[in-house]
Amino acid sequence: MLRPALVSLALLATLAGCSPSEPPKPKKEPYAAASAALTDGVLLPAYTRWTDSDRQLADSARALCAGEQDLASARQTYLAAHGAWAALQPLAVGPLSEGNLAWQVQFWPDKKNLVARQVNTLLSSKPQLKQADLEQASVVVQGLTAYEYLLFDPAIDLADLEQKRRYCPLLLAIGSHQQALSARVLAAWLGEQGMASQLKSFPNARYAEAREAVAELLRVQVSALDGLKKKLGTPLARGKTPQPYQAEAWRSGASLASLDASLASAEALWRGANGDGARSLLAAEQADLATRIDAAYSETRQRIAALGQPLNVLLADEAGRASLGQLYDSLDTLHRLHEAELAKALGIQLGFNAHDGD
Amino acid sequence: MRRRVFLGLGGTLLAAAALGGWTLGRSAGQAPLLLSARNDADGRHYAVGYRLDGQRQFATPVAERCHDVVAHPTLPLALFVGRRPSRESYLVDTRDGRLLQTLASPADRHFQGHAVFHRGGEWLYSTENDTREPGRGLVGVWRLNGNQLQRVDELSSHGIGPHQLLWLPDGERLVVANGGIRTEADSREKMNLDAMEPSLVLLQRDGTLLSKEQLPERMNSVRHLAVADDGTVVSGQQYEGDPADAVPLVAIKRPGQPFQPFPLGEAQRQVMHQYTASVAIHSGLRLLAITAPRGNRVFIWDLDSAELRLDAPLPDCAGVAACTEGFVVSSGQGRCRLYDCRQAEIRMQALQLPAGLWDNHLRLA
Repeated sequence: MLRPALVSLALLATLAGCSPSEPPKPKKEPYAAASAALTDGVLLPAYTRWTDSDRQLADSARALCAGEQDLASARQTYLAAHGAWAALQPLAVGPLSEGNLAWQVQFWPDKKNLVARQVNTLLSSKPQLKQADLEQASVVVQGLTAYEYLLFDPAIDLADLEQKRRYCPLLLAIGSHQQALSARVLAAWLGEQGMASQLKSFPNARYAEAREAVAELLRVQVSALDGLKKKLGTPLARGKTPQPYQAEAWRSGASLASLDASLASAEALWRGANGDGARSLLAAEQADLATRIDAAYSETRQRIAALGQPLNVLLADEAGRASLGQLYDSLDTLHRLHEAELAKALGIQLGFNAHDGD
Repeated sequence: MRRRVFLGLGGTLLAAAALGGWTLGRSAGQAPLLLSARNDADGRHYAVGYRLDGQRQFATPVAERCHDVVAHPTLPLALFVGRRPSRESYLVDTRDGRLLQTLASPADRHFQGHAVFHRGGEWLYSTENDTREPGRGLVGVWRLNGNQLQRVDELSSHGIGPHQLLWLPDGERLVVANGGIRTEADSREKMNLDAMEPSLVLLQRDGTLLSKEQLPERMNSVRHLAVADDGTVVSGQQYEGDPADAVPLVAIKRPGQPFQPFPLGEAQRQVMHQYTASVAIHSGLRLLAITAPRGNRVFIWDLDSAELRLDAPLPDCAGVAACTEGFVVSSGQGRCRLYDCRQAEIRMQALQLPAGLWDNHLRLA
């Protein structure tokens, strides 16, 4: 029995008298260890990269508009910022999900091409657009999707001086808005009672125990995997006519890169930076499930790597659509493995009342 | 010092140790009894009772998932009401969980998840749907005879798809939330989103209509209620229209005043995602609490000034009920929480009850 053993150990310790050194630290409970490891190894680095990429975005907008940077470099900087944002999708716990902020960063889906319309409406009404004007404007024009429109849409040529004069005030304002927003979110992670601390020390004002934190990480991961299916499934429109303009980041051709960046983060939550992610919480008898999830990540990411063409090219012919269909099925498998089997294996309830309508 | 202990743990404790003496509870010295429907991880349904200190009183397996629970005013009985559209409710002995009666809904009627015992303990009123004329709202009248509830009569709810009903403080007048949504016999599918008729109705116990009021937005389903001891009624809505529409998701009817929106901050309204779950009022502290499981937030406001007192994260938050200290809140996913509202700063403690799988409503007896 455990109890007598513990008692005798305690007795032994008492008899041995005070040890001069500190007592050995109790080993961290596995869920607390995983949550802390993921925070330091995966979440904080991703939020920091995003904030850095938005600072570079704001710098790039200033340089481009001052004639100190060419359009090609500005586009690269945008792609990096969008990639850093995509990487946050499976990691959107806490501050990012609580202030309706995601729409301010990315406007998707944009079924009616609101981005193009609202950008031009805004600039017609405010040709001398100031930062404050953007802060009060719709989320449609505040984020990366509008920024992408300015840099990539065929109707706009920022190498042309006249157009630069028209569009630069907005480009600059979006850059600053994104920089400030990401800095604010990172600050909410880093404060003394910040999100990072709440994922590392339990109980706290947010989580009663580590299991609640891991549950929330899994919930966001599952919801992001589901979102990736939607991001691919919407333009693919299986059985119907493909909808290339319904894709995320279609103007910059970054749809698949974005998908892969999100997947990489989902996989990082699973594996952890040092083998200390959700996978480490599975017991030995659940090794089969661990192997299947490993395989599903490998397969899905290999399929993306093997596509070799941008989404719009693939959507245009049957062979390309077939490859995308296989990718969709892999994503679906991956999603289901997390939603059903992993959640059950970890004893995590993903949601019970939220969609009841009661 | 108690205060120091709280601060040392960042405002939070995992119950028990610090909870010490419960001040309220029917049985002297015992922590209040929390009654709720709950599932297990395999999806089986239970009617459960737990003392707030974590001790399990009972967990009775039941065939159908339940929704609200109605404790008898004097006897150790509670009715676990079937979740709509349900044909069964369960009368349980709250001392040991013994199933005393499986209440079958009458032919062509199904339960809508809520009911109330009359203060005298002899009568029970339940919201129901007429499945021959789907959506026609009814209030079923039942009489307690020994340990059995018998169907006696039914009244009109004066609306479509009645959901929660409660007593006004005199214990003789009912307030009914007619959700306004028509559903067919055994389905949860919404059939009339283009012609919804939600309303807040006040009734005499004999069925006489006293008042019927509506909010301007027809797709804003009035579903859950709480009543303060001065007769103030608060309702929580679920909006079926455009996710971007700004509509009053919380409404209030102060005594003698019209039914009108309760002023919400824009940030709170947005994060609710057009959906509120349970509503509770602490009459002594004049506080209003609402769970918003789609936004994963628990809110507490000052009932009179509408000042926001708490906006806290709790994934899949579900039932809420007032207790001496403030409010107890359950969750479909995490641990139940006690929010101690007696000081200016509201403090949260997790309770040592099983985590997750708690259904929409809880009652303290």
